[in-house]
Amino acid sequence: MRNFKFKRSLAFVAVSSLLSLTVVSIPTAARAADPACTTANFVTTCVGATSDTAPYMMIVPANFNGTVYLYSHGYRNNVPLPAAISAITGFPTAVANTPEPVPGGNAAIYGPLLAKGYAVMGSGFARQGWNADSAIKTNVELIGVFKKQFTKTTKVVAWGNSLGGFITQALAEQYPNLIDAAAPLCMASDITPALTLAGDALWGIKTFFDPTIKGGNYSAGAAGYAEAMGDLGKVFGAIGALQAAFAANPTAPAWPATSKVPDALKAVPSRSALVLVALMAGVPLQSAHFDSTSAPSVLPAAQQTSFQLAINPAFAALENMANAAALGVLVTYDLELQAGGAVFDNSATDYAARVADEQFIWSSALSGNSATAAMLGYLAAVPRAKADPAAVAKLKTLTSHSGKLDIPTILFTGVADPVTVAGNQQSVADKYAAYYAEKWEEAKANKKKTGDYKKPQNNLLVLWNFTPEKYTKFTAAGAPDTSLPAATGTNHCNFTAKQYLAIADLLAYAAENGKNLSGGALLTKLRKAGNMTFDRGYSAPKMKYYGE
Amino acid sequence: MIGKNRRKRTWFAAAVLAAGSLVATSLPAHAETGVSASEIKLGITLPLTGAASPGYNKVGDAMNAYFKYVNDNGGVYGRKITLIQKNDEYSPTLAVAKTNELILKDKVFALVGSLGTANHKAVAKSVGLQRRGIPDLFINTGFSGFADKKVYGTTFPLFPSYYMEAKIMAEFIKDNYAGKTLGLVYQNDDFGSDAVKGFAQAGLKFDVTIPYTSGTQSASTAQTWVSQLAAGKAQVVVMFGVTSATGPLLAVAAAAKYAPQWILGSVGGDATTLRALGVPAAVLTGAQGASFLPSPGDTSDEYVKLFQEVNAKYNNNVAFDNNVLVGMNTAMLTVQALRAAGQNLTRRGLIRAIQSKGSKFASAGLAPLNWSSSSQVGYNGYWFGQYDSAGNMKPLSGGVVVYTTDNAKGAVVKSNYKRPAMPAKGLPNNS
Repeated sequence: MRNFKFKRSLAFVAVSSLLSLTVVSIPTAARAADPACTTANFVTTCVGATSDTAPYMMIVPANFNGTVYLYSHGYRNNVPLPAAISAITGFPTAVANTPEPVPGGNAAIYGPLLAKGYAVMGSGFARQGWNADSAIKTNVELIGVFKKQFTKTTKVVAWGNSLGGFITQALAEQYPNLIDAAAPLCMASDITPALTLAGDALWGIKTFFDPTIKGGNYSAGAAGYAEAMGDLGKVFGAIGALQAAFAANPTAPAWPATSKVPDALKAVPSRSALVLVALMAGVPLQSAHFDSTSAPSVLPAAQQTSFQLAINPAFAALENMANAAALGVLVTYDLELQAGGAVFDNSATDYAARVADEQFIWSSALSGNSATAAMLGYLAAVPRAKADPAAVAKLKTLTSHSGKLDIPTILFTGVADPVTVAGNQQSVADKYAAYYAEKWEEAKANKKKTGDYKKPQNNLLVLWNFTPEKYTKFTAAGAPDTSLPAATGTNHCNFTAKQYLAIADLLAYAAENGKNLSGGALLTKLRKAGNMTFDRGYSAPKMKYYGE
Repeated sequence: MIGKNRRKRTWFAAAVLAAGSLVATSLPAHAETGVSASEIKLGITLPLTGAASPGYNKVGDAMNAYFKYVNDNGGVYGRKITLIQKNDEYSPTLAVAKTNELILKDKVFALVGSLGTANHKAVAKSVGLQRRGIPDLFINTGFSGFADKKVYGTTFPLFPSYYMEAKIMAEFIKDNYAGKTLGLVYQNDDFGSDAVKGFAQAGLKFDVTIPYTSGTQSASTAQTWVSQLAAGKAQVVVMFGVTSATGPLLAVAAAAKYAPQWILGSVGGDATTLRALGVPAAVLTGAQGASFLPSPGDTSDEYVKLFQEVNAKYNNNVAFDNNVLVGMNTAMLTVQALRAAGQNLTRRGLIRAIQSKGSKFASAGLAPLNWSSSSQVGYNGYWFGQYDSAGNMKPLSGGVVVYTTDNAKGAVVKSNYKRPAMPAKGLPNNS
């Protein structure tokens, strides 16, 4: 197999999309009890801080039609990052709480909304990291501040990305009287499944490629901070070493020098170990630039099949695992700080069972059954991570989703999102389905009792962003070209302005009519936005935490 | 998902009312996806290009040819069958995407004849065929797991499972090659490990065992296989892999003048494909193989004769091989299943029809069909033959002896199954 020189660093491409920070900034002096507002060009911009010191921003057009969009931003680092890590991940060095009234502060989103008379607002939240509980309170207060300031307000719709999607879902469940419609986007579901994915990915990287990665149970204080930052460096070191090895010899890439697996196991290509880690964590094997399908046309036909089945999926794992493992470090460290002890536990995890269903589908990428058995045997034999029960108990007190939605809600995510994998959205859809079934039974029971039957309204509209069938591009020399934009349906919260605006339109309709748009009008709206699919029959793979 | 079934019933009721009040027609109106008054849309995914495509890429066209023949003779209760083929390049990820396309964009009524074990596992898992209630007929894979009705409730395998094939092959080897040094080359995934389990169940042990990873087969890897087999002095070698692996193995062995008795599994034993892959006729001559269908060159067989005529008229008279035979036989079974489901065609009705009537369907198979309410498996037996210089598999000296078994621990027995006569002109008239 030929060598490949990549046009761009794989790991860097993937991780830089982990977090989008707002480009909107506010003067720090604006943190007052009442918003400070200025009006220019028929648009009033208000900034201020809620009682928890969270800065917010409101943008209201002169022709305000009464509907405001409340946006909740995604996960941001809650500790400062060394410059080197910041450069790799795209996270800022300092903790940032700048408010984000629309996704990414994108003018292509707030411009059209303002033009239609809608207002937008968002908080930067007082605390970063996993902040759902405090952010929900902040948002509730912010809604009150907005209504007080803009008394024409008639409808509030909530939307949010990633962790902001979690917050939005929780707002919709807990405050149906405050929110008229909601759209959790590329959402995180509950903390334990998300932590399980991140923890498994990190533990897999540690176990196969660098056992000096601590991977959790960080010390208190400055020592713990240093351990976590050290882990980030080691994770990227291992990913970088794998990237170099894949490029040099994609068929049989060497193991990183930091790996301590037995020599016999090193007979298995390191790419297969990485694919196994992705599968056992539940990280998708389609990434921004790798579709697990394409092969360079310059290869002979027989080698093309091998590239399609064995090598392309490994590159996809490489690109996605950088995201998952980096998040693993940051989330684990953050949650340990909040919970007061180790929170990831795989002492009872059966990784063989985890991949039993998929190991044959990805048999070539895993180098066959014998190699897979050898790798799983090693994972079964090495020490596992053990959580602190008190810390786990504390985590369980944090907000979780019930799926009980009594207002119109729209879910939308990419099926190959490597951070908040599509199973997050699926778990909420499944919970809602159970809730709806309950409501239906109640309606039937009521009919028996009173003779009146009122069909319960389906409040959940579930949309998916599918990946293209084939999208890996190759240079004339046959090297994968990772300099191109990420394919639709891949990467974290990788949506277009058109898609965001379609969601915004659907929210406005839902708020106005008390129900989601449906039928031909919905399909037309989705088709015009592009890469938005409504398919009742589709069900994303459940997150590994749920045992499937 | 919520409301799906209720909505379907509503649509159905509306459609029936509309039919009753508007036009008198010989066909009931239909709300079922992929079925109209004049058409039944079916879909198939298979490798039409790529290293794994030789041979397999003929199956879809062969099915289409038979469907055209049926369409020209009245169709199925007046409806013409349309088969939409999608190229999955033997990639599981692409198979999922293409199947989604068949279901969401093309809106097919059912899948039929889809090919490849890994591909189909990915499709069943990701597309959710059972959850959606989409019939998945007569798949071209013998992975034993597909017989699990709880997991694959809408899927109907056509072939005996690889596990069953290995059990049967073990019996054949014990009957004919006792005491010989045995070699086994197999694909190191569920396809091959199914076979390994079957051989183990039958108590057959191999002296040289060579697993290979799917996708790695090539002339250079075949060199290492041949070296290992020759070093182990294997006298009888079973090849349980795909044709694109069998081809290099036989070709390299011939070049190295290594000539054991080859026994080829049903998946990798198609003669015309092997010849196309560079296996010299002389090498293939004398190799033995297993099949549940008659030899494609046996024009004394009424099914082969009919299918060759259909091939000439509707399929550009392509080389008539096992793949064409499998495709046409699959299509004939499909027509019978559609007829058995009745004029008021529904997905659920189609599944029930195969379960209740499938074992009586006419087919070219020399082994019995076993579909029932408790069995998703189609054929349950194989006969063994030897390739002649023209690449046709001919029965051994004792004639066609069909061995049958089950997908569990049951014994392998010699069957006395007598194939029923073909429907007149090969046009099913069942109901």
